[in-house]
This record gives sequence, C-alpha cells and structure tokens, in this order.
Amino acid sequence: MRVVIAEDLALLREGVVALLRENGIEVVAQVEDGPGLLRAIAGHEPDLAIVDVRLPPTFSDEGLRAAIEARRRQPALGVLVLSQYVETAYASELIGENTAGIGYLLKERIGDVRAFLDALTRVADGGTVLDRQVVTQLLVPRDSSMDALTSLTTRERDVLELMAEGRSNTAIAESLVVTPGAVEKHITNIFSKLDLPACDDDHRRVLAVLAYLRVAG
Amino acid sequence: MPALAAGLSLGEYARSLFRRLAALTAVLVTAIWAIGGQGYFWPAWVWLGLAVPVLLDFTAGWAWRHERGAVRRVACVWALVSVVAVILLLTWILTWLLAGVHEFWPAWALLGLATAGSAYSLVALHDRVLVARGRRALRARIDMLTRTRRQAVDAQAIELRRIERDLHDGAQARLVALTLQLGRAELRASDQPEVRRLIRDAQREAHFAIAELRDLARGIVPPLLADRGLVAAVESLAARYGRGTAIQANTRRNHPPAVETAAYFVIAEALTNTVKHAAARRSWVRLSDEHRALVVAVGDDGCGGADPQGSGLAGLRARVEALDGNLTVQSRHGEGTVVEVSIPCGW
Repeated sequence: MRVVIAEDLALLREGVVALLRENGIEVVAQVEDGPGLLRAIAGHEPDLAIVDVRLPPTFSDEGLRAAIEARRRQPALGVLVLSQYVETAYASELIGENTAGIGYLLKERIGDVRAFLDALTRVADGGTVLDRQVVTQLLVPRDSSMDALTSLTTRERDVLELMAEGRSNTAIAESLVVTPGAVEKHITNIFSKLDLPACDDDHRRVLAVLAYLRVAG
Repeated sequence: MPALAAGLSLGEYARSLFRRLAALTAVLVTAIWAIGGQGYFWPAWVWLGLAVPVLLDFTAGWAWRHERGAVRRVACVWALVSVVAVILLLTWILTWLLAGVHEFWPAWALLGLATAGSAYSLVALHDRVLVARGRRALRARIDMLTRTRRQAVDAQAIELRRIERDLHDGAQARLVALTLQLGRAELRASDQPEVRRLIRDAQREAHFAIAELRDLARGIVPPLLADRGLVAAVESLAARYGRGTAIQANTRRNHPPAVETAAYFVIAEALTNTVKHAAARRSWVRLSDEHRALVVAVGDDGCGGADPQGSGLAGLRARVEALDGNLTVQSRHGEGTVVEVSIPCGW
C-alpha cells in the first residue's frame, strides 16, 4: 500500500510515518498543506491519503477541501481524514456522492494502533470508516420521529457506533469483550428496531446505517 | 370690545390700547406744534417720554420668555440695561440735534451699564457654564468607554479563538502524538502483559485529557463557527435539533468575532430551551443584517411561558449587553416563544 500524509505538526507526522513503515506500509510523500497534497497525489499516485482537516495557512478546513478535491481528481484514491473534533457536516461533505474509500476519524484514534492500521487498510480497499462520534452526534434525540433511535439499548448503540467504523463482527466482539454470537444478536436487534434491510457485508452495513441516519436527520 | 372678542386677555388688550394711545398722542402733539407756529421742536421730548413705557413693556415681554431661574434674571437685567441705554442714546441724539451738543456725554454711563450687566451675567450663569462643561466631559468619557469596551470585547474574542486553536493544534495534537508513541510501544511489548497493561492505562488517561481539552475548546468557540462562520455553525446546530428547525439567513456581512460568538450562543441556548421545555412542533431561526446591527430571532410554536429572568436567558442578556445589544423575550402562555437579539456591529 502506498500512502501520502498531509499533516502540519512534524511530531505527529513523523510518528505516523514511523508506525506505517514498521508495519510494512510505504509512505511515498509527506506534505504540510493542501496544495502540497494535490501535487503529491499527481506525482506519486498513492492508494491512500491521510489528511488532517486543519492545515496551514488558514488552519480552518483546508485539509477537508483538499481531500475532496483530491477525490474529484482521482476517484479511486482512498482518503482518510483526521480531525481534532467530529463535525457531521464535514462527514457528509466528505462522503458526498461517492462513499467508496472514505474515512473520517478523530485524530486520537491513531493511538489505538491496531484499529488505526485496520481502518487504513479498509479505506484503501474502498471501504467506509466513520468515527463512532459521528454516530453519537447523529443519535442525539431530536424529536418524536426519532423514537426508534432512543429505543436502542446502550450496548446496541455501542455496536452501532463500531459498525459505523466499518468493523467486522469479530472486531466488534473483541472491542466490546463479548462473543461474536452476542454481537450478531445485537446487530439483528438494531436492524429490526431501525427497520433496515439486513446485510452481512461490513461496508454495505455502514452505508445502510448512514442512509438511515441521514434520512432521520 | 372687538379685541377681547378676538381672544386677547385683558392685559394684552390694555397693552395694545396703550400703544395706540401713545401713537395717537405723538401725532397730536406734532400737529399742535405744526399749527402753533413751529419753532423749537419740543414734541421730540414728548415722543421720548412715550417711548419709554412702550420699550419697557416690549423688553419685559422678551425677558419673560426665557426659562425660569438664572437665565430669566439675566435677561431681565439686560432688558433694563438696554432700555436705559436707549433712553440715554435718544436723549443724546435730541440734545445734539436740538441744542447742538457735540460731546458724546453718555459714553461713561453706557460703559458702566455694560460692565454691570456683564458682571451680573457672569456671576449668575457661572454654574450653568460649569455644568455644560461637565456634560461635555461626561459625553466624551462615555464615548471613550463605549469604544474601549468594544475594543476590549473584540480583542477578547480574537484571543479566545487563538486559545481554541492553540488547544487543538498545540496541547491536543501533542497528546495525540503521545498516544501514538504509546501505541507503538504497546505493539513492541506484545510478550510482556504487565507492561502492555501499564501502557494501556497511560493511553486511557491521555484520551481523557484529549476529550477534556476538546470539550473545553468547544465551550470557548465551536470549531465550525471559527472555521466556517455563523451561518454554517447555526445550520449544523439546527440539524442537530431535528428537522423542525427552519433557518432563514439573510446576512452576508463578516461580523466581528465577538458578535458572531454571542449570536451563536444565543441561538444554541434558545434552541436547547425549545427542545427541553417548549414541546414545540416547529421552531425557526432568522438571521438578518439591519441598519448597522445583526438581528437574530429564534422562535417556536410551543407552550410559551418562559421566564425572561431565568438564569439561562439572564446570562445571554449579559453577554449581549456587553456588546451594547439588547435581548427581548416574548413568551405568553400557549403562544410560543420568540427570543430576539440585536447586536450593533457598525463601528
């Protein structure tokens, strides 16, 4: 896998580069701003770009704009956007029309290195990974039409959040320290409570959940 | 009495009658002088005598039109001074014309009168001059305080945004780098469960610190407001409160950070109240630029009855008033609630 990193804080950028290299992932370019990202993508044709939302010179949402532009130029490119905070508006802008190969995670998820590497691989393979906080924000009860969401149990919400991250049943089970069988039962419950068509594919599952949340929102 | 019928008071009628009689007498004595063989023009002295009461009446009327107190007293003094001065001048003109006196004898008398009138005015109006000067100083001070307070509030808002940015890009980013290094260490210590446990504990602490910093930064300035401005931030806010919230944004100006932040927190608090207390089906937010001010209105069709003095609204009012704005709440029982805020931003 060939990766480009756009991150302005050298300490963090070098840490990520070291982590990726230790795990056999090739980092073909490291850049500090949006235009740099677009140049690197044109020059190196990577499989995946890891992009910080806030980049110089404005430190607002330059990274996000650059990531969307990069996707427009190379639709096959996987983009994993990292942010200090979750903003559902950013998530839906990033997803846009083309959901394949999109990731949106809180920066601190990097610390859970195994899950982070796993997410990288899934995004590069065309999967969708959304931070569990996106789901949390979307799940804030809004009006009476949202009763279905409030009827989820705490454990079911945990499972839903991990599902949004595109994790497999086994990974969800490991993360919550329960058996895969229990996870399957929760998922069946969630899908019946939200009235979603059941599906086994991890990626399609994320999209189904997202579609529901978007309609509800 | 036709004059009384025309609505004049008895006093005014008497004055008008006197003026007519005086004019008639002046004409009569002149006629007597003309018929009686002319010679020395004595009727001039009669004219002078008749002019004095008419002048006195006129100037007294003028003086009385001033506001009571020192100003009217000064006006009376000057009315008297001017009558005496006119008599002196007329007398001098007559002595010059009729008796051939060339010397300007009233000079010293006129100077004395002017000095006395000025001295009296100065003493009587001294206080008023001082008060006027005090008022001018006060107004200048209010202007200065308003200006410097606004500057301080604006500077504070900019400083808060800098702090928010520093929290995200400084301390928080370093903590993220720390958790990353800990994660790498954990991978290498896969054969030492005790060490891995310690590393995971350290990571958890770092995650709490990151989450706390994020909440702190969000409380200072919501990131979307800092990055994309008021309308985007309000749209995101409303999306979180459900489909029932309609946004009508009629504002294109870039408002000062302090104004944007205050408007944002007003809208956030009002929408929270709507969700918590109003049992409303619909709510709406309107933003518009009106005559050097940003006007924000948040309303719903809920149960009404909000307490304008409640702690939430009182806090918002204080925030808005610090920017010289004002906040009004209409919330009659059963008629929904409308919170309207106007914050000036034209200077």
